[in-house]
Amino acid sequence: MKLLQGDGMLITYALGSCIGLCFHDPRLRLGALLHIMLPLNMEAGRTHPLKYADTGIKETLRQMEAKGASRSRMTVKIAGGAKMFEVSGSGLGNIGQRNIESVHAILRREKLHLLAENVGGTIARTLLFDVGSGQACIRSYGQKDIIF
Amino acid sequence: MIKNYDQLSSLEIDTLREIGSIGTGNAATALSQMMNQTVRITLPEVRIMGYNEAIEWIGGPEEVTAGVLVKMSGDVGGIMLSVQKLELVNVVLETMLGESVSSYESLTELARSAMIEIGNIMISTFINAMSGLADLNIKLTVPAFAVDMQGAILTVPMAEYGGMSDYLMAIGGNFVCDGKEVPCHLILSPDLRSLDFLLRKLGVSDE
Repeated sequence: MKLLQGDGMLITYALGSCIGLCFHDPRLRLGALLHIMLPLNMEAGRTHPLKYADTGIKETLRQMEAKGASRSRMTVKIAGGAKMFEVSGSGLGNIGQRNIESVHAILRREKLHLLAENVGGTIARTLLFDVGSGQACIRSYGQKDIIF
Repeated sequence: MIKNYDQLSSLEIDTLREIGSIGTGNAATALSQMMNQTVRITLPEVRIMGYNEAIEWIGGPEEVTAGVLVKMSGDVGGIMLSVQKLELVNVVLETMLGESVSSYESLTELARSAMIEIGNIMISTFINAMSGLADLNIKLTVPAFAVDMQGAILTVPMAEYGGMSDYLMAIGGNFVCDGKEVPCHLILSPDLRSLDFLLRKLGVSDE
């Protein structure tokens, strides 16, 4: 997770089934970019809280609030949750889809406003987040950039 | 019981390295037959590494690559990936079909099938060598194919077993065919229960 105040760009590369979340408090021009890999933290020691949607979002909120951010002003944009391979038969668990559902549920529970999203599908995304303006951009292979 | 890849002893890592070496040797023989051309795979490097290290090792997260993925089940569960860079794709296509491509986007349907088959052969001969050595019964799914940023492709085994481990076993060697030498990479990510079972079967793990 990366935190930035003022002007600047945060980037996370090659989101496949993972999800990138851009948290933004426009008044403080404070932003955070979180990259989660799995929907729920079931680690015994909880040594990597930022890897999971539930503990990752909580920890990001804690750090943003420590810098004075307010949940009522805060907006969130998310991208990712793709399915990279279609394996027939027994198949892989659709982790991308589970990540999307988990992130949605946690954002609702934490009363955060989900402003925009670009999720699902089958292609990888690199997510760029301009903290000054709150604008997010998605870069994918063989596609036009998407600003959202 | 192994709880993480970083708990492997040097003997255990040597054993995995030996499997890597025998597996790629078998793969080279099978590819030679298919391509009707001598294929060698130089002495492979086998490493146990974290996700970030593995990504840097194969050239960074945003670089586009082709991946062939197979899921293992039976005595050993997990995922095996063959990562195919454009250089490797072109050596194969020139030999088999007499054509080459400037980017993955211009792969024809026939060329895609050829690449899936090459990946499938590398993976299944590798698995056969491993199951022969350890007397295991491993079932494989039909191969799946994707062309995209390699960061996202490599995340698939990590996410599938990411709750348990942050490590992958990466096998890298040089693929030599028709005077050209290009790098090739295989990623093996057994779930930890299976890795434990495999090492015990090979007689190198403490009970």
